Amino acid sequence: MSFDAIVVGAGHNGLVTALKLSKSGSKVAVFEAREVAGGLCAKREFHPGYHVPGVWHHSAGFRKKIADELGLAEHGLSFRANEPSILCATDEGKGILLARDATAARSELAALSEHDAKAYVEWRGFLGRITGFVRSVLDSAPPPMDVSSLSSLWQLGKRGLTLRRLGKADMTEFMRIATMCVADWLQESFESEALCEALALPGVQSTFMGPWSPGSAINLLFSECAHDRQVAGGPSALIDSLLAACKERGVEIRTNEAVARIRTANGRISGITTVSGEAVDAPVVATSCDPKRAMLDLLEPGQLPLNVEESLRVVRTRGTTAAVHLALDGPLEFRGREGVEIESARIGSGTVDQLERAFDAVKYRRFSERPALDVRVPTIEDSSLAPKGHHVVSILASFAPHRLDAGEWHDEQRDALGKAVVERLAAAAPSVRDRIVARSVLTPADFESEYHLSGGHLQHGEHALDQLLFMRPAPSCAHYKTPVDGLYLCGSGSHPGGGITGVPGALAAAAIQKIKG
Amino acid sequence: MAKSYDAIIIGGGHNALTCAAYLAKAGQRVLVLERRHVVGGATITEEIYPGFKYSACSYVVSLLRPWIVRDLELPKHGYEVIPLEQTFTPFPDGRYLLRDADADSTRRSIAQFSKRDAEVYPLFGNAMSELGRQVKPIIDQPPPDPTSLDPREIFKLAGLGRHIGGHGETWTSAHIKMLTMSAVDFLSEWFESEQLIAPMAVSGIIGTFLGVRSPGTAYVLLHHYMGEIDGSFRSWGLSKGGTGQIANAIARSAQSFGAEIRTEASVERVLIERDCAVGVVLENGEEIRSTRVISGVDPHRTFLGLVGTEHLDSEFATQVTRFKMRGSSGKVNLALDGLPDFKCLPGHGRHLYGDITLAPDIDTLERAYDDAKYGEFSKTPFCDMVIPSLSDPSVAPPGKHVMSIFVQYAPYKLKEGPQDWENQREAFGDAVIDRIAEFAPNIRDLILHRHVLTPWDLEKTYGLTEGNIFHGELSLEQLAFMRPVPGWARYRTPVRDLWMCGSGTHPGGGVMGSPGAMCAKTMLGVK
Repeated sequence: MSFDAIVVGAGHNGLVTALKLSKSGSKVAVFEAREVAGGLCAKREFHPGYHVPGVWHHSAGFRKKIADELGLAEHGLSFRANEPSILCATDEGKGILLARDATAARSELAALSEHDAKAYVEWRGFLGRITGFVRSVLDSAPPPMDVSSLSSLWQLGKRGLTLRRLGKADMTEFMRIATMCVADWLQESFESEALCEALALPGVQSTFMGPWSPGSAINLLFSECAHDRQVAGGPSALIDSLLAACKERGVEIRTNEAVARIRTANGRISGITTVSGEAVDAPVVATSCDPKRAMLDLLEPGQLPLNVEESLRVVRTRGTTAAVHLALDGPLEFRGREGVEIESARIGSGTVDQLERAFDAVKYRRFSERPALDVRVPTIEDSSLAPKGHHVVSILASFAPHRLDAGEWHDEQRDALGKAVVERLAAAAPSVRDRIVARSVLTPADFESEYHLSGGHLQHGEHALDQLLFMRPAPSCAHYKTPVDGLYLCGSGSHPGGGITGVPGALAAAAIQKIKG
Repeated sequence: MAKSYDAIIIGGGHNALTCAAYLAKAGQRVLVLERRHVVGGATITEEIYPGFKYSACSYVVSLLRPWIVRDLELPKHGYEVIPLEQTFTPFPDGRYLLRDADADSTRRSIAQFSKRDAEVYPLFGNAMSELGRQVKPIIDQPPPDPTSLDPREIFKLAGLGRHIGGHGETWTSAHIKMLTMSAVDFLSEWFESEQLIAPMAVSGIIGTFLGVRSPGTAYVLLHHYMGEIDGSFRSWGLSKGGTGQIANAIARSAQSFGAEIRTEASVERVLIERDCAVGVVLENGEEIRSTRVISGVDPHRTFLGLVGTEHLDSEFATQVTRFKMRGSSGKVNLALDGLPDFKCLPGHGRHLYGDITLAPDIDTLERAYDDAKYGEFSKTPFCDMVIPSLSDPSVAPPGKHVMSIFVQYAPYKLKEGPQDWENQREAFGDAVIDRIAEFAPNIRDLILHRHVLTPWDLEKTYGLTEGNIFHGELSLEQLAFMRPVPGWARYRTPVRDLWMCGSGTHPGGGVMGSPGAMCAKTMLGVK
């Protein structure tokens, strides 16, 4: 059996690549090791009758432009009109209900600090002004690294010009922030520690950094600038529309078909062999699984130059995030916000230092006793995810290591982590304890075994300054093309990285088309 | 009647003296004003206990630019460096690592922990030296400003980019990794044994408020590989007669060119008339006028203290306030009755002549940093020691020794505030001695005198704001065109005729001399 292109892994990026290639006339097949397509965006039934619409629960990064280009609206994809406010809660008080819109956030913030209310307007204003520039960097293939040719100098020069268009003040500020730690950046603007802690979370989530780690500010900046509208129905709705579109285009999706080998012949890609032994031929293979898995585990040995192999081996994929899913027999009610539907919350311990302490734990291969929580209640939008009147809570908890100091993760430790997470949630939503019907814990080790993520890393490689842009995942394969003819990377391990964006998938397809065309 | 000068330099640290020497050499009338009774600032030798000469603050040299040594004819004025070739790291399990100038014995020493690392070690050294050579143009010229709209700046920047990026993808990638990774992550790409990674990683944290696992610390490693003595890379040394001899040599050179140096002359403020610096006022009320004023003290002290925010626009003042000082290190100087005896290597062998590093494993170093993050000094601190009296007997009475211990972490801001150091100073000293005693138990019995310097003391005695030994953290956002304030990295300031020449300007701290020399050169070029 043969295809024009094979995509390994049916995560959202893999599906975007497959769909885009098939739209330009290629015959495409997608091989997925799990029973369902979607990867971290797949709907997960963690207890009979209770589902979360994806482990990675934020879908606001998925680019509308990509959705339009792929015609996903015709297959049921829509974006929500309003972004729910985020409740920033701690052990005391009723927290801050933070709207992304600075004007809307004003009254909540003013109750806390008049100074911070004003500062938030300025902070959002700065982010708003640089979003265009940041998006232009994130949404196009990374600039070239080689400065010896005139054409690549021209490419770099063009980026430089976009940066300059920001004006001197914003440009300088952007360059200053680029290498800072998120704690310093936020504390320059805000006086409330709880606010700083809550705002800092996306800067450190899923990476091996605490708020005091240099380089965390750019993570926050990228994540804020990439944020747009949530997909209606959450990540799994995105997958549904991608699958429907794929089906219409005749893309073959083969779930439960793990790839054992990416094969080569005469120094170039010839196809794949599945675990069951079936050989499928294709001149092009694009992998949306993480680069280490793709290039070091699946690719036939001996195909990569040694220095490339080495540069991939050292890609840092230390998973630090755990997911906890709760089934509740009633709503999740936050202290002081009873009767208010809170769809999104961040639960911290009240200070930036506490978030840092949560990170300290993974340095010593322990999970945090007081993890910081990124909470979503998907049943508020889609009540069909749970039995009538019941709810599910999806939590991403920071921090938990891939391997414990004591060794492997066992149920006992998984249980202890689950308890620690519930305890933190109960600190802000005390009634939750009595409503838990079921609890499911996924550690980085589980992400590795169940979702085939190296190191259990949700972003297929840490977002750190040396693993972004033309360094992601390694210089020799940062432009989606690899040193092996016909082999491409199309997942989160490539620029612009993890999260639900669709960008690596789309840019990889463009790179493949360019070479084929 | 006060006579008028072309330039008054505030502070008598090594950069201020270097600046003075260059200006005087060019024929300018220069006056250096030092608050203390001695020049040198943190580049100083002090006889706090009779007969024992402590290199009280800065204790090793290597970064002092060779062209400055030549230009100022420093050897003629008493500058002499004794090479420091060994690094000795004891471990609690009774083993030790000894790296020295002899490649063979270094290889054998590393091989007991990892054969692979022993093979890789020289390759790493070569790669680092090459990286150092490639970035050298950066530290030896004023930084181009990417935010400037001047086409000449863009041109310079592109030129620098091509110089550094022009060595191919592998080197560019190495530069980026070096600049942004943590020391431990960076070293782990090369080495596998923690016994080698830990003592190497500490180069990355010296003087910073970061841990060995914090991104951005790998770059400081390079800083330490860029050291040059007589043009040879990667050499450390001790200044004969103590670090203060470097400052004295520069001072003598400056004087030989006609510069005037006044000690015990504390500047109270910069005299500003019509937004223009016209001189200084001393604490005793004396007013001295000059065409230009150059500050050799740190940016906080310069702008928030001597100038005053009323003379600055609010944007600039905010940026200065944001410039992070955050001292993180302390110093313990000991007068010893004999030599320490290490459990893992008893006796007085060559291991005592070099650098002795207490950095047995990564977690211990990282925990030391964790303590500091939350406002405490490290309970199990990282200590870097030298015994200069072994190779330079002039600094201690016969048979006796001085020992210089650099300690991290000692955060300026303790939980109860920096003034709490008055209560914690001795406890901090005890923690250091306790730590050393774990490896060399006889140390306690040898101590004749102990001199503990906390960041609070570094601020009080040596005028270093928050005790930062580099006049401001060497973090990426405080380097090159952003040091100390974006757009003001060329030694000029927004106050007309007020200049900066200290470690708070490009290329930063260490006994390098570059800021002082480049300030003078920039100024002379301007005329």
